[in-house]
Amino acid sequence: MSDIPFKNPGWAGNTGEFELSEEEVRGADFVGDRPADGGHASGAGTMPYMLAHKEPEAPLFDGAYKDRLEKILSRYPTKQAALLPALGLAQEIRGHVSPASMDEVADALELSSAYVRGVATFYTMYNKRPVGRHLVQVCTNISCNLAGADEVVDAFLKYTDTELGETSEDGNFTVIEAECLAACGFPTCVQINSRYFENVTPTEVPKICEHLKAEGE
Amino acid sequence: MPEMVTLTIDGHEVSVPKGTTILEAAKSIGTEVPHYCYHPGMSSPAMCRLCLVEVEGAPKPMPGCVTTVMDGQVVHTQSEQALKNRRGVLEFYLVNHPLDCPICDMSGECNLQDYVHAEGREHGRGREPKRIFGRDDFGGDVLFYGDRCVMCTRCVRFMSEVEQDHRLTVVERGNRSVIDTFYEEGLDGTYWHGNIVDICPVGALVSKEFLHKARAWDLTHTPSVCTGCAQGCNIDLHTRDNLVQRVKPRENLDVNAWWICDYGRHGYEWMNRGDRLEAPVMRSAGASQAMAWGDALRALLAKADGAGPVKAIASAKSSNEDLGALKRLVDALGGGDIVYRSARADDEVPLKGFPTLARRTDLTPNATGADLVGASRVGDDDATGGLDAVSGHDGIVIVLNDDLSDQGEDFGANASLFVYMGTHASAGATHADFVLPISTHAEGEGSFTNLERRVQRFAKAMDAPGMARPAWLVLGALAAETGGGDAPRSAADAFAALGRSVSAFAGITWEDVGTRGALLNESVSVTGD
Repeated sequence: MSDIPFKNPGWAGNTGEFELSEEEVRGADFVGDRPADGGHASGAGTMPYMLAHKEPEAPLFDGAYKDRLEKILSRYPTKQAALLPALGLAQEIRGHVSPASMDEVADALELSSAYVRGVATFYTMYNKRPVGRHLVQVCTNISCNLAGADEVVDAFLKYTDTELGETSEDGNFTVIEAECLAACGFPTCVQINSRYFENVTPTEVPKICEHLKAEGE
Repeated sequence: MPEMVTLTIDGHEVSVPKGTTILEAAKSIGTEVPHYCYHPGMSSPAMCRLCLVEVEGAPKPMPGCVTTVMDGQVVHTQSEQALKNRRGVLEFYLVNHPLDCPICDMSGECNLQDYVHAEGREHGRGREPKRIFGRDDFGGDVLFYGDRCVMCTRCVRFMSEVEQDHRLTVVERGNRSVIDTFYEEGLDGTYWHGNIVDICPVGALVSKEFLHKARAWDLTHTPSVCTGCAQGCNIDLHTRDNLVQRVKPRENLDVNAWWICDYGRHGYEWMNRGDRLEAPVMRSAGASQAMAWGDALRALLAKADGAGPVKAIASAKSSNEDLGALKRLVDALGGGDIVYRSARADDEVPLKGFPTLARRTDLTPNATGADLVGASRVGDDDATGGLDAVSGHDGIVIVLNDDLSDQGEDFGANASLFVYMGTHASAGATHADFVLPISTHAEGEGSFTNLERRVQRFAKAMDAPGMARPAWLVLGALAAETGGGDAPRSAADAFAALGRSVSAFAGITWEDVGTRGALLNESVSVTGD
């Protein structure tokens, strides 16, 4: 990713002061496509990044995904405790947590569907509606707003020809506003799937979108 | 004896067992600390913030429902800090509350109404529009009005902890949080969910069956016992206009605690049925003649003299007193068989969080009582059949409170004397020489014996129609005329007479039974004499 021509590719640790590659900081297992089995155990609990090519028809816990669920379960004392990462896995596979997904997670973890719905709806980072292949979350909180986040939002909406919260016709983009992404030092911050794009200006928006469309992420 | 802790609540010294909460300790001296989320039958999340009380030495108000007492603790439930706290919390509760008390079923028995009236602000200060949820059908008998909800989560905890079928949950968060099931799943298929309507402190969960049927303040509450099965759950019959409007559980920790099943809750409408028998009727030579009770009983006794051996059909729906009086009459007439029929279900329906409570397979309230007076069960699990020996009997046939619904018109055709005592006319009573109207259990006093041999009293909730009388009064008078002794003049008399004639009921008095019931074969007498 280090060849992306943006000021900050946005992975943890890159302050521009060191000549470290992302691989050296995060480990080789986490660069590029995450392996279907989830990769190294120490990274399995981190926030899941969404597959750029979502497979909404794929079975939730089957094959490699079943192995990953087993791996998640092995880290917790009870099945109930594994609910959040299990929902995260479901979202990673299908892009959003649908009622059917909640039901499948409930079955897998031996919980009631209603309980899973309660948890999934409590947390705002589980998408309860289908989203595009790239979920563009533009921070519009104080720092970013002062730096012109509203214009960035408008640029994304103009490029993707959608309304806030809607998915573009080609299914590639859903643009929403986000509250503070904790990157106030690099306004405007945009989180696309699980990756940060920092210091984004309206003029860069088409370039980012073209890149995402071409390379997936 | 548990270790006792002494503390002071509102200036009163009180000693309670170690581990008691402040809220329970206050209750023991008659002080109710306002609360929503706390319920004695479930865990306390301490989330309604209404039971915060001032504890001297504590840095901030303490939730009374989860704070356990300590020796020498000084608690103020009515201090300025406590009152100010409740006033503030109640104001928050009203921010989104629709104040639709005039059309709310809970009005009159609503904790929000009561607390705000007692301690809340006189006027609201909110200027913002209220959040609106509308209403949601939870399936079963439950309707949910989200705007009235105070998010105490009693219903969620009942379903997860007591019924142990986690159908309800809090959906969304913050201002948008609302109680819901899994989308369209609803509560169908659960058999205790009616209890969430009872424990809802406000009008958020209401019964569809009772919806807009009566106002709470118009209802008369009468302690009674559920007739749905042999468990004998303690209930209150809520009546208006001489009709049962609804059934609510009555707390009795020995039997059903605070809960009743949905079968029992909705199985009351037979008590409201019309077309009742209203006058004693004597039939002779094809003619029917309504007559006064005295005349009818004198004519009956004259005809019974030397009429032959007795075969009687009793009912497991009759009270102990009725069955005892029938037993005495049968004995006085020379003795004979008493049989009864009782319906059975295939499976019990247990309440998982309260293991001693279940909808039992025996669907009659007093089969134990019938067995104890010497009656034997006949017929199948639908309470039909089994009466062949009685049907063609040529002596005296007495039918008590069995509607003979499966019997044809030739039932009792050969009997020398056929007495039918029931609530409704029946084809099986076509050949009855005497048709005597009796009252239901809701229309008089009496007692049932449940499956653990606990005798429990019920009280009179409604007036009996016409000249209908309790069966123990009629049978007791007949037994006294035939076999000597005094006729019972009250249910207590009839129960005492039962104790004299059936040894299982000896040793306990009507007062021992009281409102909580008394176990047979327990030689403890709380009256001490």
